[in-house]
Amino acid sequence: MKRNSYISKVIMCVIIFLLIFPLGVVLLWSFVKIWPWPNLVPRDFGIRAFEYILNPNNKSIRILCFSVCLSSVVTVITLLISIPAAKALGVYNFKGKDFFKILVLAPIIVPTIAVAMGIHVAFIKLGLANTVLGVVLVHLIPCLPYGIRILTNVFEIIGESMEMQARVLGANSIQTFIRITLPLIAPGLLSAGSLVFIVSFSQYFLTFLIGGGRIITFSMLMFPYIQSGDRMMACSYSIVFILSTLVILLIIEKIVRSYYKGENYFYM
Amino acid sequence: MYKKLKPYIMLAPVMIIILGIFTMGLVLGFFQSLGYFPVIGLNDFTLKYYKEVLLDKSFIDSFKFSIYISLISSVLSVIIGVLLAYSIFQSKHKKGIEEIIYKLPIIVPHSIAALLVYNMLTQSGVLARVLFSLGFISEQAQFPSLIFDKNGIGIIVTYIWKETPFIAMVVYTVLSNINEKLAEAALNLGANKRQVFWRIILPLIMPSILSSFIIIFSFSFGSFEVPYLLGPTNPKTLPVKAYIEYTNPDLTHRPYTMVINMILTFYSFLLVWLYSKTFKLISKFNG
Amino acid sequence: MKKISIILLMIMLVVNLTACGNNSNKEEYNVLDKEWKDILEDAKGTTVNFYGWGGSQKTNEWLDDFVAKRLKEEYDITFNRVPMNIDDILNKLLGEKQVDVKKGNIDIVWINGENFYTAKNNDLLLGSFTEKLPNFNKYIDKDSPEVKYDFGFAVDGYEAPYGKAQFVMIYDKVRLDKAPKSHEEILEMVKNNPGKFTYPAPPDFTGSAFVRNIIYDIVGYEKFISMEADKERIQKEVAPAMEFLKEIRPYLWKEGKTYPATIAQLDNMFADNEVLMTMSYNPNHVASKIVTGEFPETSSVTILNRGTIGNTHFLTIPYNAPNKAAALVVIDFILSIEAQSSKYDPENWGDLPVIDNGKLNEAEKKIFENIKLGKGTLPQSVLLEHRVPEMPANIIPIIEEIWQENIPVEGE
Repeated sequence: MKRNSYISKVIMCVIIFLLIFPLGVVLLWSFVKIWPWPNLVPRDFGIRAFEYILNPNNKSIRILCFSVCLSSVVTVITLLISIPAAKALGVYNFKGKDFFKILVLAPIIVPTIAVAMGIHVAFIKLGLANTVLGVVLVHLIPCLPYGIRILTNVFEIIGESMEMQARVLGANSIQTFIRITLPLIAPGLLSAGSLVFIVSFSQYFLTFLIGGGRIITFSMLMFPYIQSGDRMMACSYSIVFILSTLVILLIIEKIVRSYYKGENYFYM
Repeated sequence: MYKKLKPYIMLAPVMIIILGIFTMGLVLGFFQSLGYFPVIGLNDFTLKYYKEVLLDKSFIDSFKFSIYISLISSVLSVIIGVLLAYSIFQSKHKKGIEEIIYKLPIIVPHSIAALLVYNMLTQSGVLARVLFSLGFISEQAQFPSLIFDKNGIGIIVTYIWKETPFIAMVVYTVLSNINEKLAEAALNLGANKRQVFWRIILPLIMPSILSSFIIIFSFSFGSFEVPYLLGPTNPKTLPVKAYIEYTNPDLTHRPYTMVINMILTFYSFLLVWLYSKTFKLISKFNG
Repeated sequence: MKKISIILLMIMLVVNLTACGNNSNKEEYNVLDKEWKDILEDAKGTTVNFYGWGGSQKTNEWLDDFVAKRLKEEYDITFNRVPMNIDDILNKLLGEKQVDVKKGNIDIVWINGENFYTAKNNDLLLGSFTEKLPNFNKYIDKDSPEVKYDFGFAVDGYEAPYGKAQFVMIYDKVRLDKAPKSHEEILEMVKNNPGKFTYPAPPDFTGSAFVRNIIYDIVGYEKFISMEADKERIQKEVAPAMEFLKEIRPYLWKEGKTYPATIAQLDNMFADNEVLMTMSYNPNHVASKIVTGEFPETSSVTILNRGTIGNTHFLTIPYNAPNKAAALVVIDFILSIEAQSSKYDPENWGDLPVIDNGKLNEAEKKIFENIKLGKGTLPQSVLLEHRVPEMPANIIPIIEEIWQENIPVEGE
């Protein structure tokens, strides 16, 4: 018994170390000026890359803020339309349910490049290419499956009985939704929202293809540097990217928690 | 009547997006793959492009390469991910920070993941430096080439790094929802830990493992950033091939792109179909 | 409270969605028929979208810090740089052309060579505009082949020169005491240092240039300048060069079984001591890499005695540019002494100027002479003496194809 848990502790630590260590290297590289072979430690440090990112002339920070807004909008829309869909899939029985279940998951299975390249010309024709609306719409495709999947699980667990009770007690449907359903699904919304935000925030190809350069997101600023192999710049952009994601996720979590504090004891 | 329609109405907004953009994109792509692309003056349906692509040797190589990369990386991710989830679950007497930090790679986009593996595994990367300073290798050339190599090690490692936490997270969620009494009861009845894992826990987490396997497999099969950044000159993975065809300034090459895309899509659907079959089989098996 | 937050979210959403939908449709007119004075007037207070490769910090900084600032001060033009690879830019323009989008969003494209050839052939460009630019008329030698032709393809005023580049090879004096000056010396060097040399796989821009340079070094450049795009003929002409590339293959990095996919990778391998040499199509590349600390201080450039390929890179305006007037003004500004000299300064970017020295007065000449050369670079005069012209754009992909068929295949 003792030995077993010791082994699993070691396994856990090794795997987690392997997952986290490379991130540490990225953090280090973002300050590296010279790091010749075969030194284990860089010879010279600098902050050229961070100076560049913070320089308002190249708008990195502004674009970062825009990306955050864009992904937030995508997240909100995804959640708004996922809630009813997830409830339908999670609570009700109806004809074709299995088919719909697979259909809503299909966008994560089918390569997005196939969809994006196919729809591109149509988007140009409709005037959706190169617009925020077009980018938001196309972001919904990879995001929806995650939102619906997580929320469907949540609805499967909570069922409809609570809402029914409220309705029986005379609450109207809006009241029921806000007072009962929302607090019940809040933890699920939190994880769905976080995942959807991440998916949207890290989209490179879709934004770039449909946004056509008119819509520039942070991923698009970062990609050329990763590609061009300027490791200091690439690593610095990566660090900024990761940190801002973390901050946003923390903020979302804080907001949701403070709203539903004390109300979510229904759920697990 | 309303009751009957209600679920469909609730699904409507999502379906508008999915059918309007997703399915539409696929259908338009499919038409183009058949050579029907009126805006550039291609008006006849033909199977010519499929024939040409399927008979092309470099396509077969790319196809094999893509399957190989996705398969190896997904299988390894699942194994390591389950191991990680189970070991966290086992050692969790007090709630530790490990529960949060292992999820970090999930928020990291694939392009950054590629960068990070690049930093680690090139012949002048961190790993080579460590081995050198420990005396395992005496010069750079002795370190095997793991990036841009024909075996796609760099790509595979990137996917493993990125997908393992995802698997672990899914499995861990299921694990922590499994009624502990179930395992305890089994232990009390004389089952040993190994039996508990194989007989009770594994069947319970199997559906989520399978579905996440499908997700990461098809993702790595169809995504282009990582092989684009870390892949060898030859062979290229299918999505990279599709992208290169797509950027060909000669628009009459478009059908080739779409053929590759359709083949990618076809295999993804095949997987989902297989998945739902196995899933049914398993659920039948478990009663 | 909850309601407010929902309302706020909705507002945010709506604002975001509408913010980018409204482009005022200005009346279509032919900007090239206008007087320069009116063009300046039209350009005032507008925004210009500049599309080009965004992977170099120096270049980006020069555009963001210097060009954008000066344009605002001088012409009240907002300069918006969009990082995008040229393949994707062309793809976007082609897509728009097919469905007849009258008003796109690219005003200026950084372009040259094959891509210009494609763009011009597909009617993606505005037309002949360079004569309209005062600075072009004043400072540029219009008869110079480097201005008239872009990779052997007639420019016809469809693009304005932006800067000049020349292929150089980079080595570290400390690690390699004698830099190769011909293909024979390259062979000698790789034999002495097996596994320590390679080049990026074409169609990488620089790798492709390296292969062309080897071809020139072995069979001379003259016959290629007016060659037709006939694969069989080219195959015959470049055969000795392909033989040479096969000959050095076993001594290359990874025994020539794989090649770095991009020049960036080769740069990193050089910085990390994995290889002895890297290469660049920008003769000042080494200086900027020394400044950023990526390359050692002792890095230096070398060129081949029989010459290295030089080209000019250009700026052009797409047919559906939304703000053609301001695009003209911006390009004109980039052709000014002020912009060209600032661009030449290795502290900023280090790109060779396109201005004809003979058209400058003494004071103007002084401005260029006073710019301190970057570390490790060669003076402009040496470079120009060893400069050979590029091949016609349409035979380059054929050479890349031939390379692809002959060199990276295993097990011969």
